[in-house]
Amino acid sequence: MRTLKRKLLGLVAPVLLLAAWDYVTRRELFSPQLLPPSEMLLETWWDMQTSGELALNMRVSLCRVAGGFALGAALGFALGTAMATCKAVDDYLGPLFNTVRQVPIVGWLPFLIVWLGIGELFKVAFISLGALIPMALKTYEGIKAVSPGFLELARVFEFGRFRQLTKIMLPSALPSLLIGLRLSLSEAWMLVVAAELVVASVGIGNTMTVARRLFQTDVVLVSVIAIAITGYLGNALLALLEARLLASRRPTCAQ
Amino acid sequence: MNIPLQVAGFLGRSYRGAISFLALIGIWAALARLQAFPAELLPAPDAVLTTFLQSAASGVLGASLGASLGRIAQGFLIGCSLGLLLGASMGVSPAVESLFAPLFNALRQVPIIGWIPLIIVWCGIADLSKIVFIALGAFFPMAINTFEGIRSVPHGYLEVARVFEFGKLRLLGKIVLPGALPSIVTGVRLSLGASWMLVVWSEINTRSAPGIGDMLDSAREGSKMDVVIVCIVVIGAVAFLINELLGQLEAQLQGWKKTSR
Amino acid sequence: MEKLGTLKVNSLSKGFGPKGQGLKVLDDVNLTVEPGEFISIVGQSGCGKTTFLRLVVGLESDYQGEILLDGKRLNGPDLERGVVFQDHRLLPWLTVEKNVGLGLKNAGKGEARRKVQEHIELVGLKGYEKHYPHQLSGGMSQRAAIARALVNRPQILMLDEPLGALDALTRMYMHQELERIWRQEGITMIMVTHDMDEAIFLSDRVVIMSSRPGTIKKIMPVKLARPRDRASIEFARIKEELLEEFHLHTETPFAYSI
Repeated sequence: MRTLKRKLLGLVAPVLLLAAWDYVTRRELFSPQLLPPSEMLLETWWDMQTSGELALNMRVSLCRVAGGFALGAALGFALGTAMATCKAVDDYLGPLFNTVRQVPIVGWLPFLIVWLGIGELFKVAFISLGALIPMALKTYEGIKAVSPGFLELARVFEFGRFRQLTKIMLPSALPSLLIGLRLSLSEAWMLVVAAELVVASVGIGNTMTVARRLFQTDVVLVSVIAIAITGYLGNALLALLEARLLASRRPTCAQ
Repeated sequence: MNIPLQVAGFLGRSYRGAISFLALIGIWAALARLQAFPAELLPAPDAVLTTFLQSAASGVLGASLGASLGRIAQGFLIGCSLGLLLGASMGVSPAVESLFAPLFNALRQVPIIGWIPLIIVWCGIADLSKIVFIALGAFFPMAINTFEGIRSVPHGYLEVARVFEFGKLRLLGKIVLPGALPSIVTGVRLSLGASWMLVVWSEINTRSAPGIGDMLDSAREGSKMDVVIVCIVVIGAVAFLINELLGQLEAQLQGWKKTSR
Repeated sequence: MEKLGTLKVNSLSKGFGPKGQGLKVLDDVNLTVEPGEFISIVGQSGCGKTTFLRLVVGLESDYQGEILLDGKRLNGPDLERGVVFQDHRLLPWLTVEKNVGLGLKNAGKGEARRKVQEHIELVGLKGYEKHYPHQLSGGMSQRAAIARALVNRPQILMLDEPLGALDALTRMYMHQELERIWRQEGITMIMVTHDMDEAIFLSDRVVIMSSRPGTIKKIMPVKLARPRDRASIEFARIKEELLEEFHLHTETPFAYSI
């Protein structure tokens, strides 16, 4: 009963928002170029869907994210592991890494464009740079946070470096690694939009830029919603993976 | 325990860290001297330093930085206060939470950069759109952290307040806000960091007025790599300062939370 | 000629700080442990008993003196010496079965499974093979930790206050179990504890340590028939004797003000 009431209450704000939107567009307080009627969004969505425009642009963006995310997360994992397990690597690369990561990732965009041009190479490099940093950080933190008691256990059982890493450190760091993956993916998704807003001929970010220049606010809005839903789905997918992987660790009834 | 050894260890570590910086600059200088890449791609380190000093002395750098910081000041203040307000009211009142949480959570699924075309359509490409954009970016982390901070105040403290029959206002002022303060400061740090990223981004995206992002992107267009590097370093330094100063405040506030260490 | 599996500790000293010259934790400790013996080390906290145990396990290094197993100097941790920690240190992401098999070396698949199963049964955890640590009670976790330490068939098992975190009744029950396992396996056990009853109930000899620096004050043999009766007069007499050693200490408070 209570939860139902809460859910209904949650609908109030969106419904009010829609009503206000409807009222404003009906009275034509703004030009439809600035604020299209809400039902027009559905039409636009349908048009973009049937013409294949939405699917094509989404697919291109997703491919870029996939490439950049896979590369960046893999490198970040490797760097984080190396810094956390090897003191020399930490000493040599740690300060440099911590300096480089201070620069907000979008600040690198002009630099990378000069070096790599505006093609796919630039986009994948840009996205993977963004994906690398949270993954490396969370890997590092996760491994550094392994309980010293478990490391002693590894010594008692005479584990080599490899077994210590695979049997103790990585399983123990798993929750942190998964957080790293999530942060990395959402960063990658944001950066693909960023890169496409600036330079692209295809992709969902490009769709928005073109529509914005032509004052097709409906297309911009549909794209924003599509971006949000895709980002949400990606995150939900990783949350599902997380729940599965960590299911056995949930403290159910620790006496 | 053993101070000389610790000092030696620290010096040893920072010495190793310095080596990689020096190596990087060394390789950079060598490549520039050998002219392995054209100067538009890789200017010599000393050329970058000269450019930095010149643009600092001529006031160009200062003016750009000042313009960007001015935008931040406005956008951040608006977004941060609104975030604080919403986060606090959602944290204190379950009714407000159930009213706004679904909409809030839906809106925050949009990667913040994705809002910019919409904001440009509505607010143009002048300063207004940048400030709105920054405010939006500052709003979300502030609201989330305020909300979570208030909700994570231990239940036992609230019971203490009930035992002493605190009124609503005293409860808020004596228990809830102090308890949530570390998390709120985290919110300030994150939203200020986001603001800084977004001001750079919006200036790159819509170049309408001076600013550090504008300086960066016009240098890119003019193939002035030395200026590009100067801008990146300055942007990184400002981000570092924001993070460092607020991070220290945060650590101090969190000091009382930890019983040991 | 010493029997195989004899542990000899000769004038062992250990200090922390620069080059072991700082605070002395152990000073001139001498002890010989026969194979198959059950030894308890008791003392106030801070007397270095845990440090002693960690030295024998090989988790601490930089000491003066000798620690010899069958005449050979110890060099780091070794599967010949198992250890049970006070916090059971079961890996939370592994089942009981996998935890017990964690340290198994040089065993084929079938053999490994047989050994793991054997030891799970030995500690009485049959039926809990697929459980995760968070599903076990404190006593069960410690049983699993004991099985894990025994699975490599070490010559010596070191126990660092293994039952310290358990409630009194569970602890008494575990004493019986520990005795049973010890007899069944015929293994040397060295246990650090601050529970006098526990030490008397289980040990062949009780080593009493005094603090600052940690030295062996007295070694007291317990010559009672097993299984022992906590309520017997002999038991009470030994306990009194043991406690006296500590009463003496508290009556000279100057010892602390140095």
